[in-house]
Amino acid sequence: MATGITNINNMAPELPLQFSEDLLSTPMFNLIHSFGADKHYAEAHIGKTTRMSRYERLSTDGGQLDGSGIDPAPEVVVRSDIDATMEIYAKTVVINEQVTLYENDKVLTKFTALLGQWLREKEDLLMRDLYASSVSYINAVGGANGDQPSDISRADVNNIERILLGNDARTMLALNEAMDKFGTAPVRDAFIALASTDITPDLQNVQGVLLKNAYPHQDGLRPEEYCSVSRFRFFVSSKAAKLPGASMTGATVYTIPMFGLEAAAKIDQNNYSAVLGYRPPYVVSSVAQNSQLYAKFAIARAITNQNWISGLNVTQRL
Amino acid sequence: MPFTILTGDTFTSTGVGVRINLPSSADYVKFWNVTQLGTASPTACVASEWFGPKFGAGASAANDGLRWRKAGSSAILIDKFSTATASDGFTYVTVNPYVEAQAANAITAITAASPAVVSQTNTYSENDIVRIYNTTGMLQIAGMPFQISTVSGAGYSLIGLRAAGFAAPATAGNTRRISKYAAVDPEMLYITEITKATQAVVRTSVDPSAYYVVGNKIHFSIPSSFGMVEMNQLTGTILAVSSTNYTLTVDIDSSAFTTFAFPASTSSPTAQLFATLAPAGSKTAFDPLTLVQTGYEFQKTPFHTGQFTPFLFAAGGTNSPAGSNADVINWIAYKLEN
Repeated sequence: MATGITNINNMAPELPLQFSEDLLSTPMFNLIHSFGADKHYAEAHIGKTTRMSRYERLSTDGGQLDGSGIDPAPEVVVRSDIDATMEIYAKTVVINEQVTLYENDKVLTKFTALLGQWLREKEDLLMRDLYASSVSYINAVGGANGDQPSDISRADVNNIERILLGNDARTMLALNEAMDKFGTAPVRDAFIALASTDITPDLQNVQGVLLKNAYPHQDGLRPEEYCSVSRFRFFVSSKAAKLPGASMTGATVYTIPMFGLEAAAKIDQNNYSAVLGYRPPYVVSSVAQNSQLYAKFAIARAITNQNWISGLNVTQRL
Repeated sequence: MPFTILTGDTFTSTGVGVRINLPSSADYVKFWNVTQLGTASPTACVASEWFGPKFGAGASAANDGLRWRKAGSSAILIDKFSTATASDGFTYVTVNPYVEAQAANAITAITAASPAVVSQTNTYSENDIVRIYNTTGMLQIAGMPFQISTVSGAGYSLIGLRAAGFAAPATAGNTRRISKYAAVDPEMLYITEITKATQAVVRTSVDPSAYYVVGNKIHFSIPSSFGMVEMNQLTGTILAVSSTNYTLTVDIDSSAFTTFAFPASTSSPTAQLFATLAPAGSKTAFDPLTLVQTGYEFQKTPFHTGQFTPFLFAAGGTNSPAGSNADVINWIAYKLEN
């Protein structure tokens, strides 16, 4: 309708949109699979396989001298060798010059940040795969969903604690001492458990669960931590391991590695743990129109002591 | 050209599927069966094409692709692998372990015999690994993976399951084919039998020789529902490996242990499952008399990625891309610039 008024109907803004100075967050899943592993380093120029060795303790059987002067039988010392192969992973992004020319944002900087995020995410998934593939898990049976494995229960968690304690595993996290705060309770020194976010409703229903907000101290807690059950503190990730169609009835099975100190190792190749690079346009493109960013890293992984790691297979109930 | 990645190779078919590793991924792959192309009037697939996800609606579905075939004449017929007469085609795999997107495949029976024999209409190949679940009458194995052998379209045997001691056969169930290799190897294996002997013989549900060698150490997790609780949490060194019987002989004297036995089907789902073993390193040894070193094999012993991804699986068979035994196959993989 013609009104004689100059308005945005007859004079639209020159620029139809504006770019907000605040970028929105890039999604990132919880990185829970690396921090519990021992970190080792591999030197260059001496092969791609790292050997970690452990001397097994001597037997405490016998040993008494009977006074006859006869020496006790010598014991052969046993060494266990744990080997891990170094593997290299890489990701690259190729950018046409028109992107950097016309984009409002500083895309090379942002893309470099994305590659940095990829480095840590990929590393996390590789450690997840190690735990999922090479550890013995016990099916939970104390739950109420009628499947095999069942949903998680206190009795199942206690059974894993018994296994770890029976194998002389050492806890990984220190005591969180009691304080005179309402609604809090002390948290014992604990082993760690790594679980899928899919089972957090079930975790909340485990008998004796202590959600993170009920810990006496919050300082230094990782954001990925969810709760404490018995002797375990649970860390959750949307990318934690699961096996589709693997239960008795064909439901998804979630594997929960539960372990103490020195159960697993992550081995970095010296000078190759996180490499970020840039190839300029005159190198990448014959007409110098495309540049390239890349990230790469080397990693080897191993379960270093099966006695100090166990875990549960569970299914969902809630 | 920095964006064009072109790779290719040739192989002689053994009649079974092949994995083509594609480190840079691929957008289009073409196979030629050079042997059948040179034959006047074969009944066979002579060439095939796979289109990747970049083609959107035109991309090839799992176990599909374009099939160029001859049907007893020199004329070329072009259709999809999924069209009649259907045959297996290409599957592009980007994650490991890989679970096929397939409908539940129904089992009609599993015998309580040694080895157990499964009756099921199937398109599996020899030595495939399937996970069995929903097993009416044999709930104690529901959820376990098994390697299959003596495969026909009507069934197969489970060398890793000696079920003669089971109370009853299974009368129904389902399977799903899974990866032969876990994301990381050596991997945890399922135990189906442990003998009482001075050197215990351990049977697994899949061929253990693919993952373990003499001198490797293995750690046992045996729930009390399996009887032999004395073996639980012990670590033993492998003395012998049998790919024929799916067994490992270990240096653990189990002769005085409680007998190992599967819990009854009726005790599921409350009986704790499963009995498993996991890699616990090696006891490397060198015999100066025989000059034999044990406990180490580069391809198996160190922890390593089980299966490289991404890869393109090309099924084998007369009307499939990887052809029949002795067929020479050429292939080329393309990466688009856009």
